[in-house]
Amino acid sequence: MLRMKGTGKMKDYNKIAIIFVAVSLCLSGADGTVEAAETAQFEQPLLITSAGQSAEVQLAAVLAKRATLDYTLSKLATSQELHGNKTLVLSLGASLKGLGAAGLDVAQEKGRVEELLAAARKLEVPVICMHLGGEARRGQLTDDFISTFLPHAKMAIVVKSGNKDGLFSTLCEQNNITLIEVERAVDALQPLGEIFPPEK
Amino acid sequence: MLSRRLFPLLFILCFLGTSCQKETTPTPPSDPHVPYDFTAQHGMVVAAHPLAAEAGLRILKQGGNAVDAAVATALALNAAEPFASGIGGGGFMVIHLAEAKKTTLINFREKAPAKASPEMFLQDGEINNLWRQSHGLAVAVPGALAGWIHALEAYGSKTLEEVIQPAIIIAEDGYHVSTTFSKINKDEYERLLLNAGENNLYLNDGFPFEPGDFFRNPELAAFFRRIASLGIKEFYQGKTAEKIVAAVQAKGGIMTLADLKAYRVQEQAPLTGTYRDFTLYTAQPPSCGGLHILQLLNICEGWPLQEWGHNSAEYIHHLSEAFRFLFADRARYLGDPVYVDIPVTELLNKTYAASIRARIQAGRTADAYPAGEFGMPPEKKGNTSHLCVVDQAGNLVALTQTINSFFGSGIIPDGTGFILNNQMEDFAPDPDSPNAPGPHKRPVSNMAPLLLFLQDKPFLILGSPGGTRIFPSLSQIILNLTEFGMGMDEAIEAPRFFSYSSRGKARNLSLESRIGENIRSILEQWGHVFTIREAYDKYFGGAQGIRLFPSKNLILGGADSRRDGAGAGY
Repeated sequence: MLRMKGTGKMKDYNKIAIIFVAVSLCLSGADGTVEAAETAQFEQPLLITSAGQSAEVQLAAVLAKRATLDYTLSKLATSQELHGNKTLVLSLGASLKGLGAAGLDVAQEKGRVEELLAAARKLEVPVICMHLGGEARRGQLTDDFISTFLPHAKMAIVVKSGNKDGLFSTLCEQNNITLIEVERAVDALQPLGEIFPPEK
Repeated sequence: MLSRRLFPLLFILCFLGTSCQKETTPTPPSDPHVPYDFTAQHGMVVAAHPLAAEAGLRILKQGGNAVDAAVATALALNAAEPFASGIGGGGFMVIHLAEAKKTTLINFREKAPAKASPEMFLQDGEINNLWRQSHGLAVAVPGALAGWIHALEAYGSKTLEEVIQPAIIIAEDGYHVSTTFSKINKDEYERLLLNAGENNLYLNDGFPFEPGDFFRNPELAAFFRRIASLGIKEFYQGKTAEKIVAAVQAKGGIMTLADLKAYRVQEQAPLTGTYRDFTLYTAQPPSCGGLHILQLLNICEGWPLQEWGHNSAEYIHHLSEAFRFLFADRARYLGDPVYVDIPVTELLNKTYAASIRARIQAGRTADAYPAGEFGMPPEKKGNTSHLCVVDQAGNLVALTQTINSFFGSGIIPDGTGFILNNQMEDFAPDPDSPNAPGPHKRPVSNMAPLLLFLQDKPFLILGSPGGTRIFPSLSQIILNLTEFGMGMDEAIEAPRFFSYSSRGKARNLSLESRIGENIRSILEQWGHVFTIREAYDKYFGGAQGIRLFPSKNLILGGADSRRDGAGAGY
């Protein structure tokens, strides 16, 4: 059923920049690429939620499913839902349509995520931010969510085209966050598989 | 080839002097937002995807008339822009026959199944929006194929088998996915997963398509071949009908084979009205878009628009307030005219327009936005795509069609490659609304394909997708052309705004971000609350237009860069 002529994107996976910022600057200068194995490890189960109610949260869930991770998807997760989870995944991307469908305005959505992050800090649950919408999911509103919430993350996994202007690189460098860039959303499958060791 | 390229240039220079320098460019500029008019002499098609426009042009060059080309383009859009419209949906088509001097409307809007009821979207007294949007209950009986075939048989010169060929080629050969396609694919990913699963052909190995990926739809090509061979009966009574009903019922829907068999197109006189020296022909209710455009233009007749200036604070304020009053009329009066009485004559009365105008105050928003009072409320008697075509004989077609939301219901009948609509969402969930669901009713539509004549001469073919934004966007384009002297595409690309009211209260004023801070600060002082959208936001639709200059034998096409619009002419 796949209707795609080969674009060679998967073959390019070895080009994917897996950047562990502090180390990368020493190891490889401008390119700053290191292997995923050197990056931080996270534990399951995961709670996946949105920060901005864009549709990419569903992509994050499908990626987690394909990586056979133990996850819960809750687009409007609250701090109570964090209990029992060992990693919080925030799908960054603002959508006025998604916010409208959820019955939220921007302030309410930010409040929800802030409350969730406060609980994550208290419970010492690490945060992974994902930005899977690429360049098309950038803009003033999404950038506001990125700037507000990315600094709370331990790791960021982003589709490369969404980082054309270096916003993620800059924020990750400033906040000592591991940045993993992938060409396409589907390519996030591999780093996800690597940062979550198999459950015993 | 060289002479063909040079001819339009020489032609325009002869007739327009040096005032239209952009027509000298042989190909559209690389920045799609730069206004660019497609030019032609004999005929033109403008549609939401270049392959669809070329499909229509191919039929025109093969000797087909505007109706043949419009149907070919509509079919091609199912292949080239499958997320917005197609055989699983419906629409409206306004046709003008030059020789017969006849203008007619074909209403192929979807209909509710026989088991539909006003309370069908209530669950424990609460509105269930999932049922309205992403469920078998959301699917209305499609009318597109019946409409296309009716148009061909009544006014075309070619057969379905002939005009469907370009669509088959597009579906079979495929094309590279645009940024628009990819973004919409991502936005509607959840619905596709829910109703079509990870392995459906509108996903790329279970994930949304990225810009530049290659998309083919051989299932749709095979299905179109089947329809070409077996005809309309296959869709409404044959194996395809069985597949549609099975797919809808598997997702909890109520459509039956009898509903499909009972579907009928309506042909009727278009809704007509005037604005200054112009006469406008558009869709009748249950489409409300044309009605509200005429109401809005009636209101504007008493305002000094040129003095205020295009997109000035005064202009945006007054039009936004007018939109809010018109949305109140929409909620109170609009429904399927077969089942409710709609006071169309009263709503279009210029005295009524003056009464709305009198309620709109300079420098402040209104406290409330009540509907017009025309006696008692009506008694109950019981994401879209637009294309424009003109042919060498001067026949005109404005066709707007839809499957409602992008990717419709997300339900794909087995092996057909097309997406079923979620048009039942266009019914009001309130059981007391004149637009509540009911057996065989057509939901209120916002579509407004239109033809504008200036003193009996064809002036404009226009339409747009965009849901509730359709009539405000089309009104702005018409005013851009008639009041502010803009070119066709310039009028389409100009920054847009939108406002509405709900239950008598103002809702946010949405502005494209190109409308600057200086204007926003004034509007804010006058009481407006904003939602700032992207600079070119498809929220405001994706208009297609053809500006006609009969005395100069010139055709200019404008296609909206908010989506992937394009024109093709000769």
